[in-house]
Amino acid sequence: MKFVHERLDNGLDVIAEITDGALSTSVGFFVKTGARDESDAIWGASHFLEHMVFKGTHDLSGDEINRRFDWMGAAANAFTSEEDTVYHAAVLPEQQHEAVSLLARMMRPALREEDFTTEKLVILEEIRMYDDQPPFGADDRCRAAFFGRHPLARSVLGTVASIEALPVEAMREYHRRRYAPGNIVLAATGAVDFAALLESARRHCGDWEPLASADRTTAPGRHPPDGRSTIESITRPAATLEYAVRMSAGPAGNDDDRYAAKLLAVILGDDSGSRLYWSLVDSGEAEQASCHHHDFLDAGFFATQLSCDAEDVEPLLSRIVDVYATTASAGIEAAELEQARNKLAGRVVLGGERPRRRLFSVGLEWAHTGGYRSVADDLRIVEGLGLEDVHRMLARWPLHGPSATVLAGPHSADASAPAAAKAE
Amino acid sequence: MQQTLHSTTLANGIVVLGEYLPGLESVAIAFHAPAGAVHDGPGRCGLATLSGEMMLRGAGDRTSRQIIEALEGGGVQWSQAVSTSHASFSGAMVARQLTVALPIYADIIRRPRLEEDQLESARQMVLQNLAGTEDDPAHRAMSALRQLHYSTPWGMPSEGVSAEVEGIGIDAIRGFVSAHVRPGGMIIAAAGRIDWETFVAGVERLFGDWDAGAPETVRTGGRGPRFRHVHHDSQQTHIAVAWSVPPYRSDESYEATAALAILGGGSSSRLFSEVRERRGLCYSVSSGYQTLRDQAAAICYSGTSAARAQETLDVILEEIDRLPGTIEQSELDRVKARAKSGLVMQQESSAARAGSIARQWYHLGTMRTLGEELDRYDRLSVGSIEGWLADNPVRDLSVVSLGREPLEVPDEVRA
Repeated sequence: MKFVHERLDNGLDVIAEITDGALSTSVGFFVKTGARDESDAIWGASHFLEHMVFKGTHDLSGDEINRRFDWMGAAANAFTSEEDTVYHAAVLPEQQHEAVSLLARMMRPALREEDFTTEKLVILEEIRMYDDQPPFGADDRCRAAFFGRHPLARSVLGTVASIEALPVEAMREYHRRRYAPGNIVLAATGAVDFAALLESARRHCGDWEPLASADRTTAPGRHPPDGRSTIESITRPAATLEYAVRMSAGPAGNDDDRYAAKLLAVILGDDSGSRLYWSLVDSGEAEQASCHHHDFLDAGFFATQLSCDAEDVEPLLSRIVDVYATTASAGIEAAELEQARNKLAGRVVLGGERPRRRLFSVGLEWAHTGGYRSVADDLRIVEGLGLEDVHRMLARWPLHGPSATVLAGPHSADASAPAAAKAE
Repeated sequence: MQQTLHSTTLANGIVVLGEYLPGLESVAIAFHAPAGAVHDGPGRCGLATLSGEMMLRGAGDRTSRQIIEALEGGGVQWSQAVSTSHASFSGAMVARQLTVALPIYADIIRRPRLEEDQLESARQMVLQNLAGTEDDPAHRAMSALRQLHYSTPWGMPSEGVSAEVEGIGIDAIRGFVSAHVRPGGMIIAAAGRIDWETFVAGVERLFGDWDAGAPETVRTGGRGPRFRHVHHDSQQTHIAVAWSVPPYRSDESYEATAALAILGGGSSSRLFSEVRERRGLCYSVSSGYQTLRDQAAAICYSGTSAARAQETLDVILEEIDRLPGTIEQSELDRVKARAKSGLVMQQESSAARAGSIARQWYHLGTMRTLGEELDRYDRLSVGSIEGWLADNPVRDLSVVSLGREPLEVPDEVRA
């Protein structure tokens, strides 16, 4: 694998991880914008704009974009998160130029009012679809409680009200401001012809007007607000199971402890073979009991997810907090650490074999840090993590400490119930 | 592209398959035992799934926990699933771990302990999963559709039915495993950085002395009503439509697959363009091909607000009706391009290939090379698809709606 980087005069970064013998090429535009860059007046604009990018440019209709992707045999899609909007396509190497050209042209969409009106209906359907599914909005509500007034409190989809109220002009203004070349990374992985990639970038993106790098509000702070635990509930009488989402503070994306945090989350709450698995899932008491670490530019959290029978939710949440507290006081065993390290290493190797997966690792890393890590770098990091790293994590970020918890399901919970805050 | 496929059959009937994938560090392995949900039997829906779960809970001289620790300690990404036709145990790993993983899988398959003290936990786990599926409206709609479309017992939900799972005892599980987890009908496939001779020798050593046994046949029954509304207190109504198409082992399945891809297989497909892009009726709409060994289904799915669900269903049915006589060359070209790149990209994943060659063997009794698959796609023409559509009009439509209110369906479905 070889890594290369060039920057166009207007500030667009072009990067590639080239793998000899790869069978496919993955390309993507990583725009450094997401829900955290919105205000109340444009809540949901990043994700809605991601849809609108597929509705066409001034000389390319939405139907034509869809036909071209299918014609080149591309697996193409996009996603929006709190910090990123990513447009990506996986193609056979001979289609690299077509895929890059099409994606590049899409980055300058027409944002026609009639398309905006039709697509608004699709966005509203997407909001209803997620609202009908587990965890029934508990994840968004929990993030809002955990982050308080921090920009990361905002949900990606927005609300029915915010989407209905959004005018097309506000989206056009948001696009002008956030899709400047200095705020975008063009990344490619797999069988990449880098000279051709640069040529495509210059031809299609070279005339994008450079703007001063778009401002992004970062705000280090304490989460949950004031270090106080909260618990809320959403009542869904028709739900069969009760769903709980609990967030407690963890290292941010600029913190070297984030790798140890991922390893700790595997030990505590991986989907199988973890402490929560053996305590709650193996016995069939919980449908799911998991813990994952998520990091952002200026914050991070451990997210615990539980689903179980409604009457069990409080005792099982207490048990989870007990697992965290016991782990913090008694520590991790060497064998557990070894198992978790081997699991992570296996994931790194297997994920590294697919250009489609590497695209996201390479593109997001560059978008967030301006740096690059190879598969070998990732393996070295995983293999270098020791008991002292995980124990330092447990001391710095007590998972049994202050948290935001939201329950959703048939349980008519007493919102003052202290279950999740018990061991604080 | 050079492709290296291997197959052999052990004396006891186990089929062993392999594909060497250059450039990969990983190996994936898949064990498909003919112990699928189709053998559950009346009043025991979920027996295969509960048995599959019990097989992992202690085998040979390892406890349940030791099995998972041994696999995960070796960095093996393991999974276990029970489908209509098979109980499957799979793992993907760095190649050198294969020698560690193989004996563990041999224990799970040949020497599961099936101890009574694990039964309640396993049952609760299956019941929890079932409760979770109750909260997934799209899954419920598709599950109801399979029950309408396929002849019994092929459409029964492999995850089980709660009331029946409650009543399954340890003897039923032991009987099921000994009857259906047998060398006859068993497929073991590996793909990635494999040394074929060494792999076969390893499988022979671990499975060669297992007594032969033929898989049990299934008595296929009739079909139920053609329309069902499932009441669900949700904002969206979910619509699922199915009709019969040839199974994968029929050569015409390629024409059927292509026709369905044109209807609803990509972002330039007719359903996506008309239902989502032009009318904004929904977020998700698609059609696809789903095959068992002897039956297959064309399936359309969409989820949309209750107020717009009837229009969505009507447009889907119109697009199905409009298909014969209107296929365009450009549509077929796009389908071929998507199929070709999908097939090539599959070669980048050892897990995808191990699963794929095992499925091919089950359906066809052979493996198709990439070249053969691509060649068959090349032979698709507008004429061949139109010919197939003309000879096979849609005539046994099944429709499921799931939501607050039932939808109006065509008379022939209602009847």
